[in-house]
Amino acid sequence: MIETILNILEISIWAGIAAVGFGILFNIPKKAILTVFLLGFGAGFIKTFLLDFQINIVLASLVAASFVGLLSIPLAHSIHQPPVVFSIPAVIPMIPGFYAYETVLSIMSFTFLEKDDAKRLVFMDAIFSNGFTMLFILISLSIGVSLPLLLLRKDTVKKIEN
Amino acid sequence: MDTTNRLKQVADLLLEISSLLMVSGANTNRVDLNIDRFASVLNCESFSLISQKTIILTVVDIKTGENYTKVKNLPSHKIDFTILSLISKASWNAIEEGWSLSNIRDEINRLKNQKRYPRIVVLIAVSFAGAGFCKIFGGDYLNLLIAFVSTFCGLLILQETHKKLFNVYINVFLASLTASTIASLGVYFNLGTQPEAALATSILFLVPGVALINSFSDLLDKNVLNGMVRFANGVMTVLAMALGLFIAMLIFELK
Repeated sequence: MIETILNILEISIWAGIAAVGFGILFNIPKKAILTVFLLGFGAGFIKTFLLDFQINIVLASLVAASFVGLLSIPLAHSIHQPPVVFSIPAVIPMIPGFYAYETVLSIMSFTFLEKDDAKRLVFMDAIFSNGFTMLFILISLSIGVSLPLLLLRKDTVKKIEN
Repeated sequence: MDTTNRLKQVADLLLEISSLLMVSGANTNRVDLNIDRFASVLNCESFSLISQKTIILTVVDIKTGENYTKVKNLPSHKIDFTILSLISKASWNAIEEGWSLSNIRDEINRLKNQKRYPRIVVLIAVSFAGAGFCKIFGGDYLNLLIAFVSTFCGLLILQETHKKLFNVYINVFLASLTASTIASLGVYFNLGTQPEAALATSILFLVPGVALINSFSDLLDKNVLNGMVRFANGVMTVLAMALGLFIAMLIFELK
């Protein structure tokens, strides 16, 4: 049990580091770096924790991204930055890049490499399952990031009371 | 004549701001909101058609009803969240303190000259991000090192080819080929417990995350055209990445 938690914590710390790395690539303000790390860490922790309980990756990503989206309201007030500045880098480690390239590799193997019909069926299956998982994760991430504005029907978080 | 001249300056300023926001990675809704805020400070109303390459903007003087329309082509995109943050702050300050046209123009010129992080810091930070991805996909620390090195070299190639002004997808392809070739060495010599994880994550620094997230948030805001354009750009980038990876895997005969 403790080993599992330590393992999840280790992965979450690396998720936070990945979030900061991308934040620096996107040139976030220096003040936002710690926030991005904590949000990336939190999101990574929630996602890995849920995955550990065999919960579907789409749902896990939605929950983790919603956590980022909801926390971004009070954080935007306290560090005086618009929420996208730290919510987008924080969800970047959850971008389904792995599924994206699995999809494209399956498409390429299906089209160019494999001649055997039975194996081509396997690639068909891989194209659809990976492709749609990628799409649904992306939709979950953007719903999570824009959740506060969707729920509260305001144009800007500036007018939402703490 | 005076109002026309003023409207011309307002339109120029608002177009400058919207183009800055757009190339820095704001979604369409954010550009709209910021423009409306600045326009309201300057006693104007603004109507705009925003696309990825061009912005058409009409400003209407609230008092006289005179209008002025202008079109601006956007420079190439370079994501910069500091600019988003500073423009957003400037728009609120402008409303609270009732800034004049020249105040806003000075502030915009000032924030255009913001420094980015030094190149070496970006290289190291993104390489750590690549190592982080590798950890998320279950690599051990030797795999993390391979992911770090291949991300570093890939990003270096991306930055160098970017200076040469090649087509952006060719840059992405070359960066992906470099990164995955280095990571393929790990698979070829079977280093670490999960060399495939290092190969899979070595090219993830190229994933167009902002384009894809903005694409769906534009679609949620019913900015369908911009959403589709961003999605298409994102898919093109993913295809270029995958092509680089594919060729590296062919070279090393990996399955």
